[in-house]
Amino acid sequence: MGALVLRRSLRTQITTKVVAISAAAAVLLGAALVVLIVAVTGQRDAARVAFRSQQALSLANQLEKSLLSIESGLNRYVTTKEEIFLRPVRRELALYPSRTERLTELVSDDPGQQSRARALAEQIAEYDDFWVQGLTEIVQEEGFDKARSQLRTDGGRSKLDTIRTEFSRLFDRERGVIEAREAKAEQRSARAIRLGVGGLALVIAVALGFTLYLRRSVLRPVRTVAEATGRLAAGDLSTRVPDQREDELGELARSFNSMADSLQRGRSELERSNAELTRSNSELEQFASVTSHDLQAPLTTISMYAELLERRRGANGGNGGAGELDLVEGIRGATQQARGLIRDLLEYSRAGRGQLTLEQVPAGRIVAQALEALAGAVEEAHAQVTVGELPVVLADRANLGRVFQNLIGNAVKFTGDRTPQVGIEAEREGEHWRFSIRDNGIGMNPEHARRIFEPFQRLHGEEDYPGTGIGLAVCERIIDQHGGSIWVSSTPGEGSVFHFTLPAAAPAGAQPPRVAVSA
Amino acid sequence: MGRCVLRLTALSLAVGLLLVLGGCGGSDADTPPPERAPTPDGPPIRLGTKNFTEQTILGELYRQALEAKGYDVVLKPDIGSSEIVHRALRRGALDMYPEYIGVLLSEVAQDTDRPPSDAAAYDAAKAFERRNGFTLLAQTPFADSNALAVKPGFARRHRVSTIADLRRLKGTVKIAALPEFATRFEGIKGLRKVYGLRHLTAVDAEGSARYSMLDGGEVDVASVFTSEGQLAGQDYVVLEDPRRVFASGHVAPVVDDDLLEAHGPGLQAAIDAVTRELTTAAMREMNGAVDLRKRRAATVAAEFLRARGLG
Repeated sequence: MGALVLRRSLRTQITTKVVAISAAAAVLLGAALVVLIVAVTGQRDAARVAFRSQQALSLANQLEKSLLSIESGLNRYVTTKEEIFLRPVRRELALYPSRTERLTELVSDDPGQQSRARALAEQIAEYDDFWVQGLTEIVQEEGFDKARSQLRTDGGRSKLDTIRTEFSRLFDRERGVIEAREAKAEQRSARAIRLGVGGLALVIAVALGFTLYLRRSVLRPVRTVAEATGRLAAGDLSTRVPDQREDELGELARSFNSMADSLQRGRSELERSNAELTRSNSELEQFASVTSHDLQAPLTTISMYAELLERRRGANGGNGGAGELDLVEGIRGATQQARGLIRDLLEYSRAGRGQLTLEQVPAGRIVAQALEALAGAVEEAHAQVTVGELPVVLADRANLGRVFQNLIGNAVKFTGDRTPQVGIEAEREGEHWRFSIRDNGIGMNPEHARRIFEPFQRLHGEEDYPGTGIGLAVCERIIDQHGGSIWVSSTPGEGSVFHFTLPAAAPAGAQPPRVAVSA
Repeated sequence: MGRCVLRLTALSLAVGLLLVLGGCGGSDADTPPPERAPTPDGPPIRLGTKNFTEQTILGELYRQALEAKGYDVVLKPDIGSSEIVHRALRRGALDMYPEYIGVLLSEVAQDTDRPPSDAAAYDAAKAFERRNGFTLLAQTPFADSNALAVKPGFARRHRVSTIADLRRLKGTVKIAALPEFATRFEGIKGLRKVYGLRHLTAVDAEGSARYSMLDGGEVDVASVFTSEGQLAGQDYVVLEDPRRVFASGHVAPVVDDDLLEAHGPGLQAAIDAVTRELTTAAMREMNGAVDLRKRRAATVAAEFLRARGLG
């Protein structure tokens, strides 16, 4: 059971296959290398042996020749009685021991040849000992005639014949050795070449097979998954890949498919909730719009009746007491407050919706208009407003005016005890213009810096600083729609700086700039 | 067997198992051990022989008999003539070789006084060798003398039966002989001096060529050795040698005194045991086996020794 599982996993795992194929290739290469090394070593040995054999042959040749010169020297000496012929004989004989020893060494790897060389050495020594010395002694003791008759016996010659026979056997054997070695070396090198070529071909075949295997079994599925990922990234969440394989790539495919499944599920859920949100949002806005619009009419009526009541009370001579008058005043104030709230609500609900009318707008002029609209408040607060050099930007004139009006209005409003100082500047930052409205007012804690941009969020009571808390929310919506951003940096008690950016070029959502009726 | 086990136990630590087994196989409890290994160390005995068949057989006989007694022997056959072999012995290149008494006396000792008998020849030769530091051991029963042979027709025609009769022949008398015959006393020299044969000419011939030359009429006379197989029949007439130019044909081993001393009396006994057996019949048989039937000298010698309990 365990063996079955093991075999199955061995069969299916790519890693195992890759390791096995690599190991096989390595073993093959190693074997080819070993064969080559063996062949080269064999060749070298064969060459060495052949060289030794050649040396042995030439030495033996030399020996045989010198043997002949000994014989003829001796014969000449005995026949001519000339001492001079004996000298080379003695010289050659003196060289024999070292030469035969060297010969024995050279054939030392062949026991038969070695014993033959030893026998030769011995026979040559005997030839010297028995024949050459004997004959020269006969010459000295009994004269040349006696020696000449000895020459005619086959005493020396038969010994030499034996030696020559032995030599020729040594030659034959050595030549045989050389030929055999050469044949063997030839055969071995041919076999080595065959084996080497075969091994190489096998290695190439394995490598080729390996490449094909990688292409077919690994690269192609990986490419399929990669293409599917591309399609998935491009938005085609229905993309799936085949995942029947049992190996790592099968796992990859299954993971991919389950990822795609979950992405597809997530997106459909997102789409559904998005549709829901859009619907409820538009319902809400519809509701807010209708409600605020509809609320205006009764409030106007209430306000009107309160004024009539007040006027009538004044015409009647003012009897009825100051108390009644206060009540009427109260009604009128509350009504006005409700109307302001509704107006702001309406403004907020409209802000950031509908088409922008983008045009080249000189920001300086917009600021000037805003200051004009705020002239009362500015004057009342004795505020000093400094306006720096402002650029021409691509923006919706009315909306941008509303932003400046809100921000400058806030700067003049939240002043505390000091005389308000307001600075308006613009600075180029890459693709954007950054506008800053600086004041020396009450400032705020940095932790509130985000909250103030939410609708109806107020940091202070209505009685301290009047307002509905909708202005900054409106600003954010407008700047958002222009493709910019808005934020505040502030130190409590020292003042705040409101920054917003507008793209130097036209925002993407408004291209191309065109005139449209706002909602 | 018990000894073998003991030896095995004692030697097994020092000696290889094969050697020990070989020793066990060869050792027989009944055989006295001293007979087995008389030359435990020292160099082998160098035994030389001259360069013809009979000498080759003699060399094999002595070698095999001595080896059977446990001696270490190196046989150096085919060295050459007596002149050459005896000089090798004198120079110390050999320890022993079998020599013919007559040749030894005439050619080596250069004693031209003709001995009256074989025994006198032997004594003279032995005395000569003793002076030179060698011992002439016992001589063989067989004699293989130098001799002169003619064809029976020739003998009848010229009425020749002794060497002296050759004097009557007119013109040059051609003798087919081994090359050394020309310069030997037991050759042309002695024949001239002893018999006054002045018209002799030696014609060089090897081995059996002497007989074929005689058969073919190229020569009148052939120098022969009396134990040669060719003389067994009626094809040739051997001339008598009344004045003993050919002093003695018996063979005796010449042995270096140092060798005898080194090995004690056992060696001499072993050599003499072979020499004693070498009768004319035995030698002629062995010579014929090798020369005519082309058998190997070593085999023939081995068979001979085995038959006499010496191998």
